[in-house]
Amino acid sequence: MSLDLDVQIEQLKRCEPLTEAEVKALCLKAMEILVEESNVQRVDAPVTICGDIHGQFYDMKELFKVGGDCPKTNYLFLGDFVDRGFYSVETFLLLLALKVRYPDRITLIRGNHESRQITQVYGFYDECLRKYGSVNVWRYCTDIFDYLSLSALIDNRVFSVHGGLSPNINTLDQIRIIDRKQEVPHDGGMCDLLWSDPEDVVDGWGISPRGAGFLFGGNVVSSFNRVNNIDYICRAHQLVMEGYKWMFNNQIVTVWSAPNYCYRCGNVAAILELDDDLNKRFRVFDAAPQESRGVPAKKPAPDYFL
Amino acid sequence: MATQDEPLYPIAILIDELKNEDIQLRLNSIRRLSTIARALGEERTRKELIPFLSENNDDDDEVLLAMAEELGVFIPYVGGLEYASVLLPPLETLCTVEETCVRDKAVESLCRIGAQMKESDLVDFFIPLVKRLAAGEWFTARVSSCGLFHIAYSSASDLLKTELRSIYSQLCQDDMPMVRRSAASSLGKFAATVDANHLKTDIMSTFDDLTQDDQDSVRLLAVEGCAALGKLLEPQDCVAYILPVIVNFSQDKSWRVRYMVANQLYELCEAVGPEPTRVDLVPAYVRLLRDNEAEVRIAASGKVTKFCRILNTQLSIQHILPCVKELSSDSSQHVRSALASVIMGMAPVLGKDATIDQLLPIFLSLLKDEFPDVRLNIISKLDQVNQVIGIDLLSQSLLPAIVELAEDRHWRVRLAIIEYIPLLSSQLGVRFFDDKLGALCMQWLEDKVFSIREAAANNLKRLAEEFGPDWSMQHIVPQVLDKISNSHYLYRMTILHAISLLAPVMGPEITCNKLLPVVLASSKDRVPNIKFNVAKVLQSLIPIVSQTVVEQTIRPCLTDLSEDPDVDVRYFASQALYDCNKVVMCS
Repeated sequence: MSLDLDVQIEQLKRCEPLTEAEVKALCLKAMEILVEESNVQRVDAPVTICGDIHGQFYDMKELFKVGGDCPKTNYLFLGDFVDRGFYSVETFLLLLALKVRYPDRITLIRGNHESRQITQVYGFYDECLRKYGSVNVWRYCTDIFDYLSLSALIDNRVFSVHGGLSPNINTLDQIRIIDRKQEVPHDGGMCDLLWSDPEDVVDGWGISPRGAGFLFGGNVVSSFNRVNNIDYICRAHQLVMEGYKWMFNNQIVTVWSAPNYCYRCGNVAAILELDDDLNKRFRVFDAAPQESRGVPAKKPAPDYFL
Repeated sequence: MATQDEPLYPIAILIDELKNEDIQLRLNSIRRLSTIARALGEERTRKELIPFLSENNDDDDEVLLAMAEELGVFIPYVGGLEYASVLLPPLETLCTVEETCVRDKAVESLCRIGAQMKESDLVDFFIPLVKRLAAGEWFTARVSSCGLFHIAYSSASDLLKTELRSIYSQLCQDDMPMVRRSAASSLGKFAATVDANHLKTDIMSTFDDLTQDDQDSVRLLAVEGCAALGKLLEPQDCVAYILPVIVNFSQDKSWRVRYMVANQLYELCEAVGPEPTRVDLVPAYVRLLRDNEAEVRIAASGKVTKFCRILNTQLSIQHILPCVKELSSDSSQHVRSALASVIMGMAPVLGKDATIDQLLPIFLSLLKDEFPDVRLNIISKLDQVNQVIGIDLLSQSLLPAIVELAEDRHWRVRLAIIEYIPLLSSQLGVRFFDDKLGALCMQWLEDKVFSIREAAANNLKRLAEEFGPDWSMQHIVPQVLDKISNSHYLYRMTILHAISLLAPVMGPEITCNKLLPVVLASSKDRVPNIKFNVAKVLQSLIPIVSQTVVEQTIRPCLTDLSEDPDVDVRYFASQALYDCNKVVMCS
């Protein structure tokens, strides 16, 4: 089994998608692994934390060139694997294949784009339809999204989540009891973890301009960190031009891993390397140079009239 | 002659699908045209399929392109060469469509078919086709006709040949620039089939018209014609006809034409020969090197060395070198980069003294260029200078340049300089390496970027190969092994990787005494990633060390690892143990 998977991983690393049947089999295996994970998945240091990827496959390869290959390097990805970029299918399937092959070396948690509703608007749905001629692959993948963990806790000291905090959640145990196997709800604790943003000017909680989740201030972070006995929170979800950004006196850091976001923003990306003793090193990197990107394959337009 | 692997039933579908509304299905069907033809048989293919295709030619461009391609290899399906001419009508129609790539493909297929046709058929069918296209009302037909003359010409009678030459000359003066462009780019092919007498008269006067065309897009295609025609003409004719054209083109008012001359310069020099190059082309080349347009200077700079090789030393120093000096501080980094990529090759041309007096200052200034590509280009060609003046004169300036590149903030620049380290070491010698470069090579092992660390490990292996095990034991191995105590697991991993690369070069004794103990100690690391890489490294050491060592040292360690709590450690340990067992079985 592992040999087939090794072949598939090599194929995906060349940005060649799997067949529909292979995706189905891969997703079934992934489900068995993910269903065992906690809503607050325990992760051991050393580990390298990565933020949003958004289907920018060749930039993710650049990430691996800077951070090291999996399984040599341990990885924690904070969600938003799909949408907006050209290669959401290949990006997510490569990460998922690595997860199935090396479950202890790579952890994937859910972002707000790992959702049926959002992917129908921002590209993943259309990409699946275009590349496979049917939406079955989108269905398999979105079913897997429901099984992704909601957060991770590194050596009991660093809390990692895609978006941020929720007024409904004060302790990690409150996260642990959420029934996560569902589409991301429009409100409530699970929604907020994937949607909220830290905001300087807010004291306490504020209304989020995104229409889901909340804005939260420094005092909210301080009390959450104190109550749960953690050093700091590591999250993604927001573009930062420098790749990473500390806030609230180093109590929360944003890590963003999609360089030149949407192929136009001009930002650099970053990953956070935590070594054996949780020492932090940010590795900043640029978008992959043009010559190392494949030419987007000219595929026939989706045949909506079939 | 239907093959049995494709049953007849799908054939009916394929034929049906040629008329289907869905373009994808029509395209599939066209792609399988040979299958359809085999099923129909040769006669029905000639009488039904080909006429059907001739009539159905207002399809989508994609389908027409596929059809044009398929018909090019269709001779066997219509009954062989004897019937090749039935393929001409559908291709003739495709030669007139609006989409360029369809026309190009149709011309290509016609050439392929024409090259195989019997001479009499060429006269009866192919030449009339060329004439019809050349007289076509719509410019597309005339554009296509230009690419067919070289196939038609040789089988024509003298009278017909005269006519064909005159038609071609008219095409070169066509009202539509698209036709003239096509005539200009096919002129070389056509001229190659024309006999020497007519070449000098008819063809050259036609060529003359093209070189004076008022469209620069036509003239720049004529530049390519210079090289092609030059090869066909006698040397003295070449000087008489081609040389003045080149000189004129080098002063053309359009920079695209001048760029083309700069780009084709070496081929043009070859065409006119060395002596006229020295006399007439040097001033032209100097003008191009000083052109106002950076694109032209880039193309010209890249040819400096090749051009100087045609000249003698004195002319190079007198005329070219002053330009090279100016270019080395050109305002465009791309010009400097192009120059840096070839300038080292000038050293053998100029000889030792001139290189030291004239070239060395230029090398040194390019080595300090603010643009990393320029510096890298100089360093990559170091061996060419070394042969002429030795490296000592350069080495003082080299080191700061190398150090700066080694610490460049872009990791791809660092990667590029690492690739050159073995070359540099072999040129600079072992002592220079020990003093200066050794520390850099060790520093890269602890680079922030994984790819650099990996390249650094690989570099050590290449150095060990270059300088041998004894030297490596002194200058590489201890320093590498020291770093295994780094507190960051990714750096320890790099060291393990370096060990696995060095072991085969160092041989069994050093591997057992020095390298193996470090690997074994790492099997007690607290990070699982290190432990499963230990298993992988041990696996790579099995073929190097003796069986006793495998049994007494490697196997016990792997057995321990195969009982590790971590699943990946167990997996890679069991893979390595499998190799141990194979060794036992083989012995």
